[in-house]
Amino acid sequence: MSERLLDILVSSIYKILIPCLKMTIPLTLIVFAISLVLAFLLAMVQILNIRGLKQFARIYIWIFRGTPLLVQLYIIFFGLPSLGIVMDAFPSAVIAFSLNLAAYNAETIRSAILSVPQGQIEAGYMVGLSHPQIMLHIVLPQAARVAFPTLFNSLISLTKDTSLASSITVVELFKTAQQIAAKYFEPFALYCEAAVFYLIICTLLTWLQSWLEKKLEWKQPLKKGKESYA
Amino acid sequence: MLEVRNLYKRFGENEVIKGIDFHVNKGEVVAVLGSSGAGKTTLLRCMSFLEKADQGEILFDDFRKDMRKVRGREIRGLRMKMGFVFQSYNLFRNQTALKNVMVGLTTARHMPKAQAREIASNMLEKVGLLDHADYYPDQLSGGQQQRVAIARAIAASPEVILFDEPTSALDPELTGEVLDVMKMLAREGTTMVVVTHEMGFAKEAANRIVFMEDGVIVEEQEAKAFFASPKEESTKRFLRRFTDAQAAETKPQESTI
Repeated sequence: MSERLLDILVSSIYKILIPCLKMTIPLTLIVFAISLVLAFLLAMVQILNIRGLKQFARIYIWIFRGTPLLVQLYIIFFGLPSLGIVMDAFPSAVIAFSLNLAAYNAETIRSAILSVPQGQIEAGYMVGLSHPQIMLHIVLPQAARVAFPTLFNSLISLTKDTSLASSITVVELFKTAQQIAAKYFEPFALYCEAAVFYLIICTLLTWLQSWLEKKLEWKQPLKKGKESYA
Repeated sequence: MLEVRNLYKRFGENEVIKGIDFHVNKGEVVAVLGSSGAGKTTLLRCMSFLEKADQGEILFDDFRKDMRKVRGREIRGLRMKMGFVFQSYNLFRNQTALKNVMVGLTTARHMPKAQAREIASNMLEKVGLLDHADYYPDQLSGGQQQRVAIARAIAASPEVILFDEPTSALDPELTGEVLDVMKMLAREGTTMVVVTHEMGFAKEAANRIVFMEDGVIVEEQEAKAFFASPKEESTKRFLRRFTDAQAAETKPQESTI
């Protein structure tokens, strides 16, 4: 590797790290948080069978899962201004990603709630719990554990998908790498460097996931010297 | 104390309960026997409103109402006075054994935590599982889970406890520990309705036997008389099949090699 290329790569670590910390990661976290709230609402109106809202949720999910994320980004950032709705790139990205991810996460949450066996709910009734109490203390905690790996998976996907925001002029990790690549005419090296950044974030997330999954297990840690629970 | 009159229940075309009058008195242990599909479980589930009866009247202490017209809040009030032990235990998987026993006291009945914890500990001790208080259901054997479920059912001192085939899902070597706990409760004068296939338990612990077939109660007798001198032909057939099966079981096993 030439000394010039090495210099470019090393000096761009910092240049890419800044938008990574200031844009890619906050965008990911904000979008994920909003999508979870929306997804939970979309799932609950279906589970609780709320007339009107349930149909709305189905149509919403149908549309946002059935059209490409990139197209949704374009519609919101480039399309809406022609209807008189003008937004900066960042809020446009937040809205597009959130709406899109909510559709997927809603299905994850809905199926996780439905996976809780009916017997758990009946047992809740028979110890005297009300329906909301059963939801809060029995069903949702169990559903959360079922949904967790899939939701975390969508967080990891989202981290990488935020690179699409570069296409609507958000200067995030990938956009910065693009700019540096153009400046020095070194696309191969710079795009690989960007890839390594995503790989590092996703690796850290994967570690976080296994750690959290252990924490979420409904198991008492085995006492030393004990071989089985029973 | 708890009674249903003229109970009817169908699932689609299938008429499962065809006009049943059933009652249990305070301090009494009633065993409900009968072949699979006789409607025993459905009877229990209708009494606890886990199934909606098509017709029937419920009388529980001074509460008396058409079962189709009992409202949600009334159902919850009635359930507060019942305990229910499920065939598949149905312990809350996200809670430890202790929390399983506590939740009906704290969350449903607003009892202070410390007091609930003490009661729950006593209940677990009673079923011999105090040392497993911090274990989650998945870490317990079937027999242990069912004993915790019984502790959960008795924790709020209900007036009656309904057992829905409590040992049917258990390996044969685990049924004993559960039946022992149930016998202990019976000796203590707990009011119990037990749907079961365990003739030994019915013989030993029940005061009265209700025999069901094809959605109706065929015979109802004091326990000793039921086993000594069954009246109905179908009861005799049922009991004979059981004694035959038992005889086969106790025969020395032939080598399969």
